[in-house]
Order: sequence, then structure tokens, then C-alpha cells
Amino acid sequence: MLILTRKLGEAVNIGSEIKVTVLDIKGNSVRIGVEAPRQVAVHRSEIYELIQEQNTQAAAMAAEISLDEILGHLRKEKEK
Amino acid sequence: MKIKTSRFGTIEVAEEEFIYIKGAILGFERLTRFVLLIRDDRNPLWWLQAVDDPAVAFVVVNPRLIKRDYDPPVYESELEFLDIRDKDDIALLAIVTIRSNPFRVTANLRAPLLINAANRMGNQIVLEEPAYHVQFDILDHRQELQEMGSEEGKGLERLAKQTCAAPA
Repeated sequence: MLILTRKLGEAVNIGSEIKVTVLDIKGNSVRIGVEAPRQVAVHRSEIYELIQEQNTQAAAMAAEISLDEILGHLRKEKEK
Repeated sequence: MKIKTSRFGTIEVAEEEFIYIKGAILGFERLTRFVLLIRDDRNPLWWLQAVDDPAVAFVVVNPRLIKRDYDPPVYESELEFLDIRDKDDIALLAIVTIRSNPFRVTANLRAPLLINAANRMGNQIVLEEPAYHVQFDILDHRQELQEMGSEEGKGLERLAKQTCAAPA
């Protein structure tokens, strides 16, 4: 991992299209601004990982199921 | 165009029916072309099959069928990105995860797929508000599970019209 020290207001460029700026520092919180092309998804890491994991799980489980079976199951549950 | 799928075999799909993911389905960044497969009108669960990977298919559902008041705030920039100019062009789909032992069906309401029904461009958006659950339990809300009908959004309705029938 590349480690750089930056002061308030300073920035880091990643390639020619992405720029990360330190906007504010308060205690152990740092506000950063990210400028990136719109097609680059920018998310907090924990959210990104959560969604990514959910997507992966959804695709993995989908390989083994029949929708009619699931719907039948849901309807049955509904009647209870 | 013929596309290979591990679930349905080889199917013929017109390219006009493709949905193009302009951003990314997180974790599946390499896949940008999908096709919506609808088995029959009575089953609210649909397939979203990757065109370029036979093995990747998601189960998706209209989120309003499981949560009637689902109307998440979508940023202007998200709409602009997909060139959505008319609210009636908005189509939202939630990705469903199904687990067995114990049987559990959840929908991801935190990160829905936003699709422009007019140009068929889509993206997975992530809502800031954690009140939208990543694992919204469909079984817990089964009373609300509606059949396809008037609740359906206009954009989704149009998307569904121009789509492929899923083989059995």
C-alpha cells in the first residue's frame, strides 16, 4: 500500500481522472472529497463490501433454484 | 443474438431487449449486458441473466410488490447518469437472495437496480439511508407480496413488455 502524508486542503491524484482531497479533520474523523468520472462507483468501503457480498451470494444461490418452487413456497407460507 | 445460459440453455434474444449496466453491479463489474427473463405474469420473481457469462443470473423482484411504500430518494446525478428525463422512465428492481436451511428469501432494498426504461441503461445505486435493508425479509412481509398488477411502476411495466419469455 502506498502511504502518503497530506495536510488539510491537500490532495492526491489517482491516474488522470481521480482526485481525492482532504477537506476537514476533526478528532479521528477525516472528511474527504472524491472527484471521479461518473461511471466509477465511489462508496464507503464497508458499504461496498456489504453490497458486493450480497450480490455474490444472490448469484450463487440463484444457480440452484426454481422460481416456481420458491413462489409455491411463498404462497404456502402466506396461507398459514 | 443467441446467448448461452447455464440455466436455460441457449436462448435467442433480440439486442433491443438487452439491459446495459452503465455503472456496475458491485462485484460483477465485468458484466455490462443483461437480459430480463420473465417466466409468466403470475410469478413476480424474474431472472436477470448476464449475456456474457452463462453462469450468472440474478433473481429480481419489483420492490413495490414486497414493500408498497418503497419510493427511495434517487439523486439527480443518478438520473442524469442514465439520462432519465421523465419519472415514468424509472424502473427499479431489487436483487433477491434465496437461502435454504433455513429457507429465507430476502430482497436488497438498499442497493436497487435503477433502469431507464426508455434507453435500457441501468446501474446499481446505493442508498445512503440504512433504513433500507440489504436483507429485507420477504417471508416476514409475505402478506404484502402482491401479484403483478396496478401497483407496478410505469417504467417497469414498459421494461417488462419488451422482454424475453424465460424457457421452463
